[in-house]
Amino acid sequence: MELKVYHRTEYRYSAPAKDSVNEVKLTPRDSKSQKCSSSIVSVIPAARPKPYLDLYGNRSHHIELPESHDRFVVEARIRIHTAPGLRVEDYPYGVEMSGLKVLSGREDCHPFLQSSPYIDVNPGIWREAVDMMSESSDVFQTCYAIMEHIFKEYDYKPGATAVTTHANEVIKRKVGVCQDFAHAMVALCRSLNIPARYVSGYFFDSTRDHRLRGSEATHAWVEVFVEGYGWIGLDPTNNKVVDDTYIVLAVGRDYTDVSPVSGSYFGGGTSTLIVHVAVRRVDVPLAVL
Amino acid sequence: MFQDYQTDGFFDEMFPKEGGPAFPHYRQVEEVIGGFTREKFLEKRAQTESAFLEQGVTFTVYGENNQGTERIFPFDLIPRVIPADEWQVIEDGLTQRIIALNLFLNDIYHDAKIIKDGVIPEDVVKTAAHYSPLMEGFEVPRDIYMHICGSDLIRDDQGKYLVLEDNGRCPSGASYVLENREAMKRAFPKLYQSLGVRPVANYPSLLRKTLEHLSPRQTGVPVAVLLTPGIYNSAYFEHSFLARAMGIEIVEGRDLIASDGYVYMRTTSGLVQVDVIYRRIDDDFIDPLAFRKDSLLGVPGIMDAYLKGNVVLANAVGTGVADDKVTYAYVPDMIKYYLDQDPILENVPTYLAWREKDRQHILGNLKELVVKSANESGGYGMLMGPTSSKKEREEFAAKIKANPRDFVAQPVVSLSRHPTVCGEGIEGRHVDLRPYVLYGEDIEIIPGGLTRVALNKGSLVVNSSQGGGSKDTWVL
Repeated sequence: MELKVYHRTEYRYSAPAKDSVNEVKLTPRDSKSQKCSSSIVSVIPAARPKPYLDLYGNRSHHIELPESHDRFVVEARIRIHTAPGLRVEDYPYGVEMSGLKVLSGREDCHPFLQSSPYIDVNPGIWREAVDMMSESSDVFQTCYAIMEHIFKEYDYKPGATAVTTHANEVIKRKVGVCQDFAHAMVALCRSLNIPARYVSGYFFDSTRDHRLRGSEATHAWVEVFVEGYGWIGLDPTNNKVVDDTYIVLAVGRDYTDVSPVSGSYFGGGTSTLIVHVAVRRVDVPLAVL
Repeated sequence: MFQDYQTDGFFDEMFPKEGGPAFPHYRQVEEVIGGFTREKFLEKRAQTESAFLEQGVTFTVYGENNQGTERIFPFDLIPRVIPADEWQVIEDGLTQRIIALNLFLNDIYHDAKIIKDGVIPEDVVKTAAHYSPLMEGFEVPRDIYMHICGSDLIRDDQGKYLVLEDNGRCPSGASYVLENREAMKRAFPKLYQSLGVRPVANYPSLLRKTLEHLSPRQTGVPVAVLLTPGIYNSAYFEHSFLARAMGIEIVEGRDLIASDGYVYMRTTSGLVQVDVIYRRIDDDFIDPLAFRKDSLLGVPGIMDAYLKGNVVLANAVGTGVADDKVTYAYVPDMIKYYLDQDPILENVPTYLAWREKDRQHILGNLKELVVKSANESGGYGMLMGPTSSKKEREEFAAKIKANPRDFVAQPVVSLSRHPTVCGEGIEGRHVDLRPYVLYGEDIEIIPGGLTRVALNKGSLVVNSSQGGGSKDTWVL
């Protein structure tokens, strides 16, 4: 599928801000499931976004605004091809939970098995996770069961949580939005020694009645590591195995590592944030008029 | 039809080699059009031309004695075909370019960092004829200045696409794209369908969406109007065509009144507040209170309403500084400066007369160069070195010395050629391409655009006002 994304983030300050230093993660990474054909990050007031790769291989930009300003706008325009998702018969079943132990020694899995700022790996969460997996000893089946459990048992309720809500609280209250569901699922998977990472990105709602959640803003979901297959995306907010309607922007241990725009500045008074995201499909053959 | 066709050593859009087969994306066109007898083809052409005349698809040529003549826009029946992969590069390149141009406008009307960082000299910006001090510090709606842009692309002798200029004020020609397409669909319905040409018919609705996106009132349906200088303007056909296709009112200055910082349209049922004005009048004439006092075309007080944010003008006032031909030379630097990317589409190399070294080069090589006046458009005020007379060159040399800021020069790029019906047969004629970029919430580029063709043998000037014609452009 070919998709286009327009993502605008605007901060307005009640008093002038200055010495603003920011990190933005608004350029999709290339992988076997997606290939970005063009991507432009632009900033108002004028500043050159300097590109670099972060610790997890995410394509990031560094933006500095030393001079006084009363607003800060970052826009990203992306054009990307996504590969078709896995067919049900190709889901990576057949990997035993007993084989997970060795993964913590792998460099690409280790950080995604530990606690991180929003995620705690503790016995309480482990007990919850064990209940969800029931009798399963299969890695993918377990992950799928956790995703399904969250989708069915948790309340999707915008405003019930904040951007800083910890996974522990989400698991206790069973309420939140996509960020919270993803945090909860990452925590539950990690407690069972399944490497799990937090993914931020976009999601194109191709259903006719737009019943899916998360397409109106940046979305968040989870990737779990299955030996022999690699990282596979699961979306607990929509109970879906990730397919070609998903665009991965960045991956990390949790929200801290992937937040699309983050930074600091001096002054500024109170700030107002306006975010707008539009994802559009471009390769639909139009009827010949 | 194509047996005797000669490419004469130019890059040809259709035939990679003289006497050889056409490019793969032209195969069907070659088959179908090549299959016509000359008589049958000329008959088809006559039908198309009479249809244009009946529908009044015309434009006006301004003569030296100020007597406008209305003509039909010459149309060539052999379509230009662009394969999908080539089009993708054009789309990406123009998207990158319009973003950079908008950031540039935003920058120079605010902090002017690009000047402070020494990338573009202050003189270039502040002395541009269309720099508008009134716009300094003004926050335009949605941060968009150039909502509609028509950039002219040409191909060099290797077939590489280059940007020749950006038209960021009131680019015209989109209506011909739509009319040409209708004509082609009637002339070659089967060929058109079997190739899977991407449609252009949604341009008016995209344009309307682009305009409505800007509306200061976000409740109900925004009121957008098209402001025309009137029936004597060369592009009046286009104005009425677009207004009708978009389903908005076409108005002249006298149909609008500005009062207390709002703009209203006079209608048979009283005054109606206007939100967005797609104006096809230059900055200078839009408001006699703010700009030229002698303008009868504009609306007194409209700038006041605009700067108060109660009405939106598209394109914004002051965008002309970005399509100035001197500024043009700096666009690749802008792309690097604002986006940290390399330009996807390159410029034609440009000499700036106000730079001492460049000026000497221009004056010494007038015969090999194309000299352009920085703030003119439509092919007026231009010197084609190789075909110029000694007298013309002397005149231009004097003008350049007197006013170096106003002139730029470029080497003559041997534009690509395209098979074109001429007289009785088919000959190669030089072409360019003007795609239309709409910058709203989305950046949309209608697939194709206006392929202009220099109908006079050997001529490189494709402007409609200078004897150019057009072709339909088919993007696959």
